[in-house]
Amino acid sequence: MALAAKARKTTAAPDKPSLIRELVEIADYIAHLRTEIAALRANELTRDRLPMAHEELGSVVEATAGATNSIMNAAEEILGLPDDKNYRAVVEARMNDIFEACTFQDITGQRIGKVVEALRQLETRLTRFAAAVKAKDEGGIDPAEVERRVRNELLILNGPQLKGPATAQDAIDAMFD
Amino acid sequence: MALDLGMPILVVDDYQTMVRIIRNLLKQLGFEEVDDASDGTAALARLKNRKYGLVISDWNMEPMTGYELLRHVRADEALRTTPFIMVTAESKTENVIAAKKAGVNNYIVKPFNAATLKSKIEAVCGA
Repeated sequence: MALAAKARKTTAAPDKPSLIRELVEIADYIAHLRTEIAALRANELTRDRLPMAHEELGSVVEATAGATNSIMNAAEEILGLPDDKNYRAVVEARMNDIFEACTFQDITGQRIGKVVEALRQLETRLTRFAAAVKAKDEGGIDPAEVERRVRNELLILNGPQLKGPATAQDAIDAMFD
Repeated sequence: MALDLGMPILVVDDYQTMVRIIRNLLKQLGFEEVDDASDGTAALARLKNRKYGLVISDWNMEPMTGYELLRHVRADEALRTTPFIMVTAESKTENVIAAKKAGVNNYIVKPFNAATLKSKIEAVCGA
């Protein structure tokens, strides 16, 4: 800012107007860039939001694994019960354990919501920054990404489809008849 | 032909919960001899040491996928006739076709239920 102001004051010099004008433009651009970098709030992202997202997702993984284990333990115990007078009481107790374990969904939903919000913030700020500095992606593709794509293509790794299986089990069965 | 409930079955999946689910379903069907491996490499080592009546494998695992495991099994003189069922979330037709070309005996898309698993085992191993 100070550089731009100083340069502007000297624009009166008649012998070097072109150079001064260019310097002013550069100074203005740098000032603009600094404003946009500040708006990114990169320190806040790396200090707070991204570690928070890591932690929340880690907690989600932990909670879902814990709930799955609790549910499977209860189911396995029910399957192994002897057919005696205690059967119903034990089944009811284990069913309550299953209901209790299912409460993980409410909490994990809220945790994922916080991560989605953090990603939305990141996306908004990066989009604004990229537009402000007219950023263009460097040519070519990241070598690690190339390697990942080649492996996925060779081994036909498509992963789960978003809205259920791409090919229904019935259609697959028909291919094996 | 009735199912041989005593035959050893190898379950290959990197997700321990899925191994546990399949193991329980197999137990419900009467199969008691169930081993597991967490990827194709570990599965091949097990296959070299024990004769299995059936392999039930996931597709997407590291370092060796189920698809690579299938091709290794079919290329190995001693293992090539081992029945092989793919149980996977890879549900694109190209996956099913590739697995079939590689010699898979049947293909189950996740999520699946006990009835589907049972019918495929019966189709592959007799009954």
